[in-house]
Amino acid sequence: MGLIPDFILDYISVTTFWTILFTFHALLAVALLGALTHQAMSVLAPVRQGAGTGGFVTRFRSVQGAGYATAVCVLWIVTFVFGAWIYTKYRMYVRIPIEQQGFWKTQGVFELKEHYATIGMGLLPIYWFFWKNARDPQYDSARKWLTVVLAAMCWFIFLVGHLVNNTRGFGS
Amino acid sequence: MSTTVHASTESRSLATSTAFRTFATVFAIATPVIYVICDMQNWPLFTYHPGTNRIDLGWSAAVRDQGPAMYWYGWTATTLIGAAVLGLLATLLPERVVRRIPLSLTWIMPIVALPILIYSLKFFWRW
Repeated sequence: MGLIPDFILDYISVTTFWTILFTFHALLAVALLGALTHQAMSVLAPVRQGAGTGGFVTRFRSVQGAGYATAVCVLWIVTFVFGAWIYTKYRMYVRIPIEQQGFWKTQGVFELKEHYATIGMGLLPIYWFFWKNARDPQYDSARKWLTVVLAAMCWFIFLVGHLVNNTRGFGS
Repeated sequence: MSTTVHASTESRSLATSTAFRTFATVFAIATPVIYVICDMQNWPLFTYHPGTNRIDLGWSAAVRDQGPAMYWYGWTATTLIGAAVLGLLATLLPERVVRRIPLSLTWIMPIVALPILIYSLKFFWRW
C-alpha cells in the first residue's frame, strides 16, 4: 500500500491519506511554479525603473526576485520529499497498470520528471547564493539563466505530473 | 527575537562566504554529471523494494512475486552525497583555481544532460 506510518491509519483511511498527501504535493507544486515563473519573467524581461505601474504583464514581471529565493528552495525540497513519498505508492499501483495498458511514452516522461526533480535539488544551493548576491553584477548572467532553467524544469515536472494524473490518478 | 537575528546573521554569512560559493558551484555542476552516470551505469546507493518495504545496499534485482525494485532513491542518494563530497573537496582548492570554474556550467550542465537522459530512456519511446 506504499509507505504510511501505522498510527495515521487509526484516524484516516489509506485512500484519504494518499489523497491528502497528493493534494498537498500538488498545491506546493503550484506555489513553486508560480514563484519560479514570476522570478524567471523578472530576469528575462525586467521592468525599467520609472516605467510606471503598467498592465498585468508588467506587474507580473516586476517582482523583487531576490525575495523568492529561499521560498523557492524550501518549496522545491518539501515538494520533492512529498513526491518521493508518493512514489512508493505510484510504483506499485500506478506504474504497473500504465505499463499493462501500454502507455510507454507516459511512463518515459515520468522517468524524465523524476530525473530532473533530483537534478533540480543539486542546483538549489548555488541558485540561492546567486539570488542572495543579486546586487553583484558578476553573477547576473548565471543567475538569470539558472533561474530560467529551473523554471523550465519546474514547468516540465509539473505538466508531466498533471499528465500522469490524467492517465491514472484520482478515481482510477 | 534572538533566534531570528541569529538565523538572519547565519544566512547573511553563508551568502557572503567564498567557501559556500565554491561548494555550491561544484555541487551544482557535479549533480547532473553524477546523476547521468548513476542512471546509465545503474549505480544506486541502495535499492528499495516497495512491495516488502525492504532496502538492500547497492543494486539488487526485483525478487520474484515480491513486486518491483526501485533505484531512483538510490541514484538520488549517490548523486547528492557524491556531489557534496566533490563540493567539500573543492573548498580546499586555492581561490585562483576556483575562480576559473565557469559559473555558466551551473545551468549548462542540466541542459547537456537532457539528450543523454532521453537516450537512456529509449526503452519507453515506442511508437
